[in-house]
This record gives sequence, structure tokens and C-alpha cells, in this order.
Amino acid sequence: MSERLTQIKDHLISAVSPSVQDQRADDVVIIAAHRSPIARGFKGGFKDVNSDYLVHQFLQEFFKKVPSSLSENKQLIEEVACGNVLNPGAGATEHRAACLAAGIPFSTPFVALNRQCSSGLVAVNDIANKIKVGQIGIGLALGAESMSKNYGPKALGNVSAEMKQNKDAKKCMVPMGITNENVSHKFHVSRQSQDTFAAESHRKAERAISEGLFEDEILPINLPDGTTISTDEGPRKGVTADNLAQLKPAFIPEKGTTTAGNASQISDGVAAVLLARRSIAESMELPILGKYVACQVIGVPPEIMGVGPAYAIPKVLKDCGLAIEKVDVFEINEAFAGQALYCINKLQIPLAKVNPRGGAIALGHPLGCTGARQVATLLRELERGQVGIVSMCVGTGMGAAAVFVRE
Amino acid sequence: MLRYHTQGYSGYGVQYSPFFDNKVAVATGSNFGLVGNGKLFIIDIDNQGRMLETKSFVTQDGLFDVAWNELHENHVLVAQGDGSLRLFDIQLNDYPVAIFQEHEKEVFSCNWNLINKQLFVSSSWDGTVKVWTPMRQSSLTTLTPKPMTAHNSALSSKDIPMSNQKRHTSLSKNKNCIYQSQFSPHDPNIVMSCAGNSYVTMFDLRQPANANQYSFMAHNGMETLTCDFNKYRSHIIATGGVDNMVKVWDLRMVRKMAANSRQPMSVNEICGHDLAIRKVSWSPHHSNMLLSTSYDMTCRVWQDLSDDGRRPTGKTNSIDPTHGCRFIFSHHTEFVFGADWSLWGQPGYVASTSWDGDVCIWYAFAR
Repeated sequence: MSERLTQIKDHLISAVSPSVQDQRADDVVIIAAHRSPIARGFKGGFKDVNSDYLVHQFLQEFFKKVPSSLSENKQLIEEVACGNVLNPGAGATEHRAACLAAGIPFSTPFVALNRQCSSGLVAVNDIANKIKVGQIGIGLALGAESMSKNYGPKALGNVSAEMKQNKDAKKCMVPMGITNENVSHKFHVSRQSQDTFAAESHRKAERAISEGLFEDEILPINLPDGTTISTDEGPRKGVTADNLAQLKPAFIPEKGTTTAGNASQISDGVAAVLLARRSIAESMELPILGKYVACQVIGVPPEIMGVGPAYAIPKVLKDCGLAIEKVDVFEINEAFAGQALYCINKLQIPLAKVNPRGGAIALGHPLGCTGARQVATLLRELERGQVGIVSMCVGTGMGAAAVFVRE
Repeated sequence: MLRYHTQGYSGYGVQYSPFFDNKVAVATGSNFGLVGNGKLFIIDIDNQGRMLETKSFVTQDGLFDVAWNELHENHVLVAQGDGSLRLFDIQLNDYPVAIFQEHEKEVFSCNWNLINKQLFVSSSWDGTVKVWTPMRQSSLTTLTPKPMTAHNSALSSKDIPMSNQKRHTSLSKNKNCIYQSQFSPHDPNIVMSCAGNSYVTMFDLRQPANANQYSFMAHNGMETLTCDFNKYRSHIIATGGVDNMVKVWDLRMVRKMAANSRQPMSVNEICGHDLAIRKVSWSPHHSNMLLSTSYDMTCRVWQDLSDDGRRPTGKTNSIDPTHGCRFIFSHHTEFVFGADWSLWGQPGYVASTSWDGDVCIWYAFAR
């Protein structure tokens, strides 16, 4: 009798309360997520190498971390998507070449993606969608950027005079720093609170480094001169809100609030997230780090693009039937302290849940790499069963957000 | 609406006689079928529109399904909780004319072959599907749906656990349970089954045992409780499951994708019930009308909007404001387990039976 009763109960209960923690055979799960150290742009360790070199070196290390059943059968990876912002053509040629050099067979296709600062996350989203619909079973999402080599005036591309005259279109050309000044001014985010937030980012990153919290996450990069870089270069010791307050505004003299100290750093780096359908991961006995749940991107006015996360996060949470309170850690990209603070306050997120190991102000923001880097960081911040969000604002006016569960 | 109350018994299955337009057989169990006796009711509808019990048989354990013999107007088969199938002659009293005892656990479904009328099929919680003939005491063949195969043929095959979470451990007990099996109405050699591991399996009795099946996950890893062949479109089936959804599948696409180890896409998803679906049944008179019963205490009639072949998406009923729902029967006051379309007279009459003990006969296209 009890068996029959339990059966009826199962029919009712599993239907009533689906949750993001449920494990189903057709879930998209994360097998591995790692990143390179993030080096400072123009003067850091990676200043003399191209992004394809970084991808090649990084993937060699990455496959050492993946179980041999997969690293010896790389043809089982059925797609590589690489997010990149600044390389001409988003690095479609040189990053494909780097994948081949790293031992991924030519039969595995490659796609280069560019959705500005969210490119790394969009690569994860792209692979996850392909797994969801059954197009592929295992896929690799990458994010790679060498701002040292490719950041500069040419990054904006050619914009026709017609676009510059159109009052809506020309807003896409507003410099990122000015968009943050717009957000800070419009929504009254003070210079002082921004400096405090930035100093806190450095403090958290420093603490994470000194406690060795990034050790598992970072894979070392060997440089052509024989040196190896294995730690982040961005975080500085002893940064306080007071000494950040000494800096001059970078975009608007006198009245501006955005400085070199409370904005993200120019950096170089690579990150990768390996995803698979759960049924395949389990049949191959691959380790499961976490589960990809959902992703959303939403458009916002380009001149205040920094508000993106404030709209993207509620949108993706609505998809999964979650409330802000149910999320344990938020990795919100710190493009600028002003926009990050606005989003945090608007959504009433407790500060303790945001970027517990520091953000882009301390670690750096290698544009196309950031989204994938945040996934690797987030999964190590979460405890088993906890829910996390990766989110960022996107240049030209967008916000992106994705939900993950640690397993 | 006509109504008959089976005092003290809860309904699990109902079927119209293929020989008489006024006769239905109802399989029931006492104490909601959880423990105690079962009872088979033969109910006639008289000229005044009353439902009268003309015969009944009490059994030792609950009855979960019923099927009329397609060759003999007085023979009716039941699936019993003790693992047996029993064939009753409604002209006789008390005892069955044959007992088929092979299943090791509850038998949850029985279905008569509509073309090769010598055969019937049963499915059980013991994880097997058995094909029988009333002439023999032992089964002709036993079909075992394989556990799902691994995605890539280069990889070793392994049974995949549905979940590693503690609170889901009870689910795995139902995993082997085959809730329903059915012969195709188009080909006497094709058997379909659906199971607690979410998989629907198609068997071909002409093939050797190791190559006789292909399967696909129908309800996202949640239990698939029911399935039915479309009576007009031979490659179309419907399934219902614990995800509260009715799905319509095109077997041509399923087979192609299953051969490539891909998860096939349904041609239609009908998301209208509030709780798990317990029975789906295509109309015998329409190629696009579908009946479903649910734990949400309703029966619903749906128009399958994917049948015009013009819409390429897998979610065609979602474009209809009512999801294609054409009728909701809401007179039952407990979980509705069984329902059957009448073959007789004006198309659209349905018999349904529920844990509330009622057998109802109603018109599906009333407005």
C-alpha cells in the first residue's frame, strides 16, 4: 500500500514544486570553468602577446584540468564559441587557429561572438542554448581579450555621418565614461560612495588573493620569454576611499565623479566554461560543477547603458520564478562604481552578496573575457545548492544576466 | 450528463464495449486502489438514459485497467494489482474464465490488439511489457524497455540516475514502472509503452529482441504516465506526464532523431492542466481531437492545432488563447484516472471515471 501511495504522491509533488535546483537529465551543466590571471593593459605581463597566444596557452592548461575521457577525445566537443570585443572580426580567424593549436580537431566548429562587455557570457549562453535544443551535447564557451593590443580609437569602428546626425543613433557613440557620469548624475550616486565601493573591491580582491581563493580558478600562462604568470595584477594593497578621493575626474573636469580609481581597469585575459548536457556528463562520469539555468539580455538607453543589470536581473529571475532574496551571490561587473552601485541599490541587493572576491575595479575588465571569468569566479563563491547570478552592463545600451546553481 | 456511483470503489479505467453501444466496463479499487479488493463493473445505459449495473465481479486486489475482447462480445480483461490479468465472461458469475499470472508487481494497463484480435498486451510496475493470447496461459513474449542509451556511440552505455537528491529517491522507485502499453491501431506488430523514467519506447514484434525498440524521453525526465496512438495519422502519438503537459509527437521525426541520439522535439505541447496527466486518448472520429484526464480533477478535450502541417514550431497550441482547449469536464470531485470515447452514435460522447467513485457519460462538444 505504501508504495502505491508514494507513487501517487510523487505524481503530485514533482509537478507542484519545480525548482531551479532540480536535476534533470536534459539540464545544461558546467563541467569546468577556469580563467587566466588578469594582467594590466599596456604595462602588464601580457602586453606583448596577442589574444590568440593567450587562448592557445590557456587551453593547453585548461585541458589538463578536464578528465582524460574528454581531453583525450576532444572531438566530443561539438562547438567552441569565443566572445571577444576588440579584435577585428571578433577574432574569428586567430582564435579558431588557437583552438586548433591547442589540439581541438578541425571537425569541431568555432564561432566568434561579440556583444560588447557581455561577450563571454553570451558565449556561455550560446553553447547552453545549442545543448538545450539538442544541436550539440558538449560545448566550450570562451572569452578572450587583449586590450593591450587592440584597445584604442579604432575600437569604435567606422560610423557614418548619417548615424552621427541621427539623435538616437548618435547616443551609441557616447563614451562609456560619460554614460557613467550620466547615471551617477541622474540617479544621485555620490563620488564618495563610488570611491568607498572601489576601495572595497580592492580590499575584497586582496583578501581573496591572500587567502588563496583564486588558486583553483586561475590557470597559469607561460610567456614566450619563459616566464609564467599565475596571479592577478590588478588588485592593490592599501587602497582606501580617502586616497581614491585625491584622484581627478577622468571625463568631466571638476564636476565629474568618475576617476581612474573607481572605474574598471584596462586588462588582458582569457576564461573558459565547458558545458554539457547532464545525461552525457553523467554517462562519461564527468565532474559537475554547477548548472546553467537561464540567461536574458535586455536593451536600455545607450546614454545610460550602466543601468543594464537593474533590468536584466529581474527579467532573468522572472523566467526562473525566483526572487532577489533567493539568490546567494551576485557577480555584477564593475564597469564603473557609479553604475554598479545604482543597480545594487535599485534592486535592493545586500552589498555583502555582491562580488565577494572583488570585481573589475580591482581585478580588471578584459572586455570579451569578463562574462566567462565571472562564471568561473561565481561557481567557486557558491556553496552546493546555492543560486548565483552573473550580470553586466553592455556598451550601446544593454544589460545581460544569467542564473547558475552550484552542485 | 449521465452518472453512476460505484459505492465504495474508486475508478481507474473505463472502456466502451466494441460490440454494444450501451455497455461500458469499469475497473475500480477499494480505498482509492491503495489496499483491498477491486471490482469490475459492467454498466448498461437503458432507453431512459439511466446507467444500471448489470454485472460485477469482486477481485482480491485493486483493478487498474480494463479492455474488452475484440473477438468476443462477453469477454472483458482486467489488469490487477497482484500482478495478474483476469479474463471475465459477463454471462457467468463470480470467477474469471482465465488468469494470466506472470507479472511480479502491479499490472497498470492492458490493451487489446485492434487488428490481430488474438493478441493483447499488458504493462507492469515490474518493468516489463507482455504480449498474450487468450488461448495460452503463458505470455507469448516479454518486452523490456532498455534503460536509456548513452548519447554517443563511442561512449559506454550507462543507466543515468534521474536525480541524486535525497528527496527524489522515492522517484527512482517508480522509474521502472511501465504505466501504459498499447498496440498500434495501424500495424498489429507495433507496441508502444511509457514509463516512470520518462521514456516512451516503440517495439516492433517482427524484429529480433536486441533490435526491436527505440525510445525517447518524452517529459523532460519526469514520469510519462500515459500515451496513445492517433487513430487516423499513423505516425502521430500523444503523451501525458507529471510535468502537467500533453505532448504530441511525430514518430517519423522521433525515430530520425533517436537514431542520431538526439532529443526529439514534440510537434505540439499542450499546457493546460494544473496537475499531472493520467490518461490521454485520441478521438476515434477526428484526427485532431484529444481527450485528457488529470489529477486536477478535470477531463479536457483539446484540438491539436499542429495538424495542418503548416506551422514549423513545436508549440502550436500555445498560439491559441485557450491553448486549443475545446471543453472542460469538471464534475468529478477527485483525481480522474480513466476515460474513453464512445465509438457509437453521434461522435463526441465520453465515459470517465475517477477516485470519487463516479462513472460519468458526457458530451465533449457541448457549448
